[in-house]
Amino acid sequence: MNLTSKPLAAIIFIVFFGGIAISTVMGSWQTESSKEAATYTEGEFAGQSNPADIRGSYTFGDVEKNFDIPSSVLAQAFGIESDGAATFAVKGLEEMYAASEFEIGTGSVRLFVALYKGLPFDLSVDTYLPEDAAALLKDRNLTPEQSVYLEAHTVPNPAAATDSPVVDPVPTAESASEAVPTQSAATSEALTENLIKGKTTFQEILDWGVSQEIIEQVMGAPMPNPLTKVKDYCTEKGLDFETIKVALQVEVDKMK
Amino acid sequence: MKIFGKRLFRPRSIWIRRVVQWFFFLLIALIAVNHTLVENGGGIAFLSTASLHALCPFGGVVTIYQYLTVGTFVQKIHESSFVLMILAFVLSILFGPVFCGWVCPMGTVQEWVSMLGKKIFRRKFNHFVPEKLDKALRYLRYLVLVWVIYVTATSGTLIFAEYDPYFALFNFWTSEVAVAGLVILGVTLLLSLFVERPWCKYACPYGAVLGVTNLFRVFQIRRVESTCKNDGACSIMCPMNIPVDVVKTVRDHQCISCLECTSEAICPVAKTVVFNVGGVK
Repeated sequence: MNLTSKPLAAIIFIVFFGGIAISTVMGSWQTESSKEAATYTEGEFAGQSNPADIRGSYTFGDVEKNFDIPSSVLAQAFGIESDGAATFAVKGLEEMYAASEFEIGTGSVRLFVALYKGLPFDLSVDTYLPEDAAALLKDRNLTPEQSVYLEAHTVPNPAAATDSPVVDPVPTAESASEAVPTQSAATSEALTENLIKGKTTFQEILDWGVSQEIIEQVMGAPMPNPLTKVKDYCTEKGLDFETIKVALQVEVDKMK
Repeated sequence: MKIFGKRLFRPRSIWIRRVVQWFFFLLIALIAVNHTLVENGGGIAFLSTASLHALCPFGGVVTIYQYLTVGTFVQKIHESSFVLMILAFVLSILFGPVFCGWVCPMGTVQEWVSMLGKKIFRRKFNHFVPEKLDKALRYLRYLVLVWVIYVTATSGTLIFAEYDPYFALFNFWTSEVAVAGLVILGVTLLLSLFVERPWCKYACPYGAVLGVTNLFRVFQIRRVESTCKNDGACSIMCPMNIPVDVVKTVRDHQCISCLECTSEAICPVAKTVVFNVGGVK
């Protein structure tokens, strides 16, 4: 049986678009993630959406749907124009705050949402918020511990950050000895160099003197390609980046 | 067109293939633009907002390892890539890599640039690379394939996206595209002035995957020796430089099933180079 070009063209269209139609009917045609945050599985907040599951691909609109926080509030908190805030992707914050010494990104949105909604959040990790976000949270019912943490993890808004690239979070006496940079420029520098951020790769950690063996020990898994970002790896493997980041940071700090 | 059994007009190209290529190029380009518009608060209502990754069947290939071992997709890859991968495989098993020859916008763009190359260099076009070197380089894409699968499996991320000229082609206006991808795209387009489909021939990992189906596909390109005039037109026309005029059945791993060598296009003798199942006399 011979086949010519026109029937072949028709077959190509039928197979592709027919296949897509069938897979759509079967529910297999998914071109994006569901954007539904995982929920707490136990404890007082069981069943509620967990801010720790907010992804960089989420828009403020997705956060609004999951956590019932208006996009306008998120926009105000993170210095975004209110128009179109619902479509602003959380991952865009990293670029917006690129000049900031301390990372403002997906973790910041997670922290803001948790404190805004009174949901549990791991405060043993250093996550920073811009001044506007912190100001909005001061009216919420924060615990004394959260208030202290917030005060110690606030950085200037983007415009101010651009003017003064070295950002000194406001420290408190209580928390300064642990995870918060002090007001001393020298100490601040010591603490901020070799700091694991969302863009840090395994190669950088190796370069900072931490051996592959220790990295694997911390992660409990073989180290991937050294050029992989730690954050990406954690996301793919379902590991909590913030937890891994802190554990690795401890090892990095030992090398100083 | 035939009058009294004589062919008065013989198309020199499979025009319907050009139409299909244009269609898929425009479709993917519009969706890529729409994806950007949606991310910026706009968008075209009736168009898909999918990312390029979600519409690339090769994404399905690179995520197979992670899917089988962990049960999840590589970052940015979704079920749609898997569906497209299966559909492209079905077509390839039946007809060879028609995805490459008829659908892939990267191949289409190379062909467009090559049209200029053909006008400039005429018969010299597509014959610049020494035969021995060319033959060896044709296997480079399998190394690229192994590398891509390895780095994706070990990193869990789409590292290839940073080097992928196809991704760069439809994302050059975004911050997502890497410099390496743009450079490779530029080099590919430049080489297309001298060589037909250089990326497909020497580097495309997806072409490597689909090319294997040429060895066992159902419909084959066959040459009828009894009526063949041995003028070599089929070989000259082949964009992948396959010597069609010296084989009975084309099983070359580089064939893209474009049908340009057949009697429907360049071959001057009717029913001599055919695309069929079941063989020829």
